[in-house]
Amino acid sequence: MTLNLDQTWQSVLDKLRSWARINSPWVIHFNSGSCNGCDIEILATLTPRYDVERFGIKLEGSPRHADVLICTGPVTRQARDRLVRIYEQMPEPKFVIAVGSCALSGGAFRGCYNIMGGIDQVIPVDAYVPGCPPRPEAIIDGVVKLLAKLQGHDISTEPIVIGEPVADPVAAEAQETEEEASAT
Amino acid sequence: MSTETCLQTATELLATWTQESAEPEPGRVDVVIAPEDLIAAASALMDARWGYLTAITGLDLGPDDGRLEVLYHFACGAAIVTFRVRVPREDAKVPSLVSVIPSVSFFERELMEMFGVVCEGTPNTDKLFLPEDWPDGVYPLRKDFSMEQLDGQAGE
Repeated sequence: MTLNLDQTWQSVLDKLRSWARINSPWVIHFNSGSCNGCDIEILATLTPRYDVERFGIKLEGSPRHADVLICTGPVTRQARDRLVRIYEQMPEPKFVIAVGSCALSGGAFRGCYNIMGGIDQVIPVDAYVPGCPPRPEAIIDGVVKLLAKLQGHDISTEPIVIGEPVADPVAAEAQETEEEASAT
Repeated sequence: MSTETCLQTATELLATWTQESAEPEPGRVDVVIAPEDLIAAASALMDARWGYLTAITGLDLGPDDGRLEVLYHFACGAAIVTFRVRVPREDAKVPSLVSVIPSVSFFERELMEMFGVVCEGTPNTDKLFLPEDWPDGVYPLRKDFSMEQLDGQAGE
């Protein structure tokens, strides 16, 4: 029996890398034409109230140090080159999360003379988080599902799509508590 | 000065060059001015220290009408005076107001890229909002603009 040391070391290193990557996804946030609604929600997500640091998520200013690119807004023709440049500056492996209706399809801006469409018209997207704007919980869900995918829990190559947000969260919550009350 | 006195002063100042005038709503006066009188009319307002230029907008009356309107909005308090300058669509030219109001350059750059109105004598003719690789001769705010004009160009 022969032991290929190189391969063993490589696999140990890979495991270590993957472990480190999953436990500290540094994110960079780029707005390529958003109305700022989604950006505000991303800022809310980063506050201690939602405490994303428990997943090791940290906002990073430089694309060269970031693992995950969180994009908001449609891609305007002016922002396209900047978005591609930021994406290309990120080291491999890199992941892209599109946040908000406009980032998914162009949303309210679709068909406008200065709009390319959604983020996936320009760069590959790994997770889609719909909503106008999506709630911080949805954004966290998108990031966590992406991490789970990296961990190997989900082996499909299909991009992640977070479920459509509930139209009226207050009514949905009231209904939930009602159901709980009737169950007990 | 009250809004009425403001408007009255402006109407008197502009009387020499006014071809038509209208009052679309209280507190507003529209005056139609020929392109060649534009600098003189704007100077009259500026020399009298009457308000400031708030915006230049454009209006495409459509291919059937064959004209474009360039609207110069001046405001003094709540009073608004609008110069309506009518130019042919095919040969849209207005004189630049840079000699009278230096900061007008930004408005004129926007007007040039969005409506294809040439502002003669404006110092900077670069694109303002549109990307540098935008095709020449395509003006997004004209009535006959269509997305097909951009196909294969400016991205995709």
